[in-house]
Amino acid sequence: MKILGIYNIKGGVGKTAAAVNLAYLAACEGYRTLVWDLDPQAAATYYFRIKPNVKGGSKKLIKGKTEADEHIKGTDYENLDLLPADFSYRNMDLTLGDAKKPAQQLIKLLRPLSYAYDLLVLDCPPSISLVSENVFRAADGLVVPTIPTTLSVRTYEQLKDFFQKHDLAGLNLMPFFSMVDRRKNMHQKVMQELPERFPETLDAAIPYASDVERMGIYRTPLNAYDAHAPAALAYERLWAEIKARTGI
Amino acid sequence: MPVNSQLQAQQHRLDPEADPEKIVGALSDRFNLAAEHERILDSVYFDSFDWRLYLAGGLLHEEREAGARRLVWTPMDEAAPPVTYPLPGEVPRFAWDLPPSPLRARIAPLLEMRALLPQAQVRVSRRTFRVLDDEEKTVLRLLFESSEARPPMGGETQALDNRLRLLPVRGYPEPLAQVQKALAQLQLKAPEQNPLAEALTALGRKPVEYSSKLNFSFDPNTRADQAAKAIHLHLLNTIEVNIAGTKADLDSEFLHDLRVAVRRTRSALTQVKGVFEDAVVQRYKEGFGWVGQVTGPTRDMHVYLLEFEDYRKALPERFRADLDPLHRFLEEHQKSAHRQLVKDLNSPHFRTLLKTWRQFLESPPPKRPQAPKAALPIVEVAGQRIWRSYKKVMQDGSSLTPDSPAERLHELRKDCKKLRYLIEFFSSLYTEAKIKPLIKSLKRLLDALGSFQDLEVQADKLRDLAHQMADEGKVPADTLLAMGMLVDGLLRRQQAARGEFDARFADFSESKNRRLFKTLFSPAARSDENPGHL
Repeated sequence: MKILGIYNIKGGVGKTAAAVNLAYLAACEGYRTLVWDLDPQAAATYYFRIKPNVKGGSKKLIKGKTEADEHIKGTDYENLDLLPADFSYRNMDLTLGDAKKPAQQLIKLLRPLSYAYDLLVLDCPPSISLVSENVFRAADGLVVPTIPTTLSVRTYEQLKDFFQKHDLAGLNLMPFFSMVDRRKNMHQKVMQELPERFPETLDAAIPYASDVERMGIYRTPLNAYDAHAPAALAYERLWAEIKARTGI
Repeated sequence: MPVNSQLQAQQHRLDPEADPEKIVGALSDRFNLAAEHERILDSVYFDSFDWRLYLAGGLLHEEREAGARRLVWTPMDEAAPPVTYPLPGEVPRFAWDLPPSPLRARIAPLLEMRALLPQAQVRVSRRTFRVLDDEEKTVLRLLFESSEARPPMGGETQALDNRLRLLPVRGYPEPLAQVQKALAQLQLKAPEQNPLAEALTALGRKPVEYSSKLNFSFDPNTRADQAAKAIHLHLLNTIEVNIAGTKADLDSEFLHDLRVAVRRTRSALTQVKGVFEDAVVQRYKEGFGWVGQVTGPTRDMHVYLLEFEDYRKALPERFRADLDPLHRFLEEHQKSAHRQLVKDLNSPHFRTLLKTWRQFLESPPPKRPQAPKAALPIVEVAGQRIWRSYKKVMQDGSSLTPDSPAERLHELRKDCKKLRYLIEFFSSLYTEAKIKPLIKSLKRLLDALGSFQDLEVQADKLRDLAHQMADEGKVPADTLLAMGMLVDGLLRRQQAARGEFDARFADFSESKNRRLFKTLFSPAARSDENPGHL
């Protein structure tokens, strides 16, 4: 099982849309895929029409009183399951902090799932916390949606800094441009500069599109209801690049 | 595993007159049902000639619908979900030609070098009803399917039983239980067979029609010549059924199985002595010897091509590309060897050989046979032959020292093969629990002897090939050097295999096995009053 984290310190960067569409594309290719919605806002869970509710919450999960796989729900799509979000996840940091070796608790929870799935997509909450540190340590690759603005570039630098300091420099980082508006000069400028400074930047860029926003109305992955939309095609290119980069 | 415990798909057989509308109507009062468009799915089931996927417990089919196609691997116990892969083009002949994917990872180790062959076509008309919860989320699917089967290359269609399948969604056990409860009143029956077996049955076939394995069951008192004929007939069938695939070069194993059956035929002719007249033995020993000869060159090329990836990997990365000219050379020579082989298989000589052999085998045994042992009970002849053959193996094997020349080991390998074939022909005459461990330990000994000899043969042959390539024209010096490295590696491995042989022979000749051979096959054992199941 390969583990992909979808993450940014900032919120509202198209993270959940990327997680949902990438997972959907993987499932279509036959990868048995599980999305774990770690964000207490439960956006991925909502997109799949699943009720956010994990009996016993994160506390029981981390303490090993319930198995992660008891909470897994099938989505409407073949090969694609979801471990729903739970409001209690907002306290996950505290629970993780109580446990022994807090930075490795997620890996431990995920181990039993590794036979049932080929790919695990972690939709992470924003900010740097114990939860995200856990994701960094468990993931084979970290996909970082980035809006091409000066501020986002600073955020990405901060993230790389954090990795340097926390012995995570080996993590496979895959920033890509998200919510791109090519009419904006700044977007164009940043999209030219960032790959020069950070060659790990992926080529595929997701345009800012109302199609993507409508996912919330249809509660369906974009690639499932309009596979030919420009943004859907961009997700396909993104997925192909991630596969090549991670060897999934 | 608890992970999939709720995924068990439920299948029900429907009577031809059962009306899906009525069933759906009865359910729609209590469940929120959403109907989907009727879908027509054209499937072709694939497996290797020797049914490796089916025997491993899975079904592979290509599914086409409105121009899109995908490959689906369905584990037969249905506890595990199917694995699908969208196909960009035709189903490739070999699993290794599929792009890296979970599906390839599942089937490639099962199929190895065997080609995927179409086994049956099935067209399914499917009406799907989704059971929705209050978020409009699908929590269960009901699939009404009516299907018809066709032979893989087209032909008449046969209707199959209508089915109702319940496809649960993980994490939603309640709707499944409720719908099942509602359906229980209809008293539907479970299907008797999996979809492929059902289709094949309707087409007058069955799964696993072919196996290269020997599986005889003899009465100990059967006349020896009759039993021998039964063995030979089975081997002849194996030879004949593999000819078409060999000629078409679908994969390397048709020829391999054909050659093994030929070798067994020759072994049975010479080892089961005194049951046919000498003239018959002589004629067909020579005839099948010729078949062994003319099929050899193509098999050699198959072996090198199958081994090629291992050859490449045996070299340090930067030298691997140097072997490419060798690969091209092998492919070209495999093709020309195969052309010659097809000519030989089409020759009157080969056809007459098989035809007259069959006539002889199918003719009733003579009332007063000339051959001295023809009328003896098979259990007696089998015991004698196995005992003699075993004693020879033990004598030759025990006299080997670490300094013995390689030829002595090759001789021993031949003897061991003869012994193995004999035991396999006649294993049904003996208690399975006793005979199995003997075959196993003999097989392991043979594996060790086989790799010892094969490595040497491959090393010698690679040297020959290098000369041949040099004679035939331009071959880069780097290629010859890389082949030299390969030869060196093979000879080193051969040295290691020599040590392996000592250990395997020690295992084979341990006292437990010696006792078993003695109780089963020695003259003393055979003179027992009841020669039945020993």
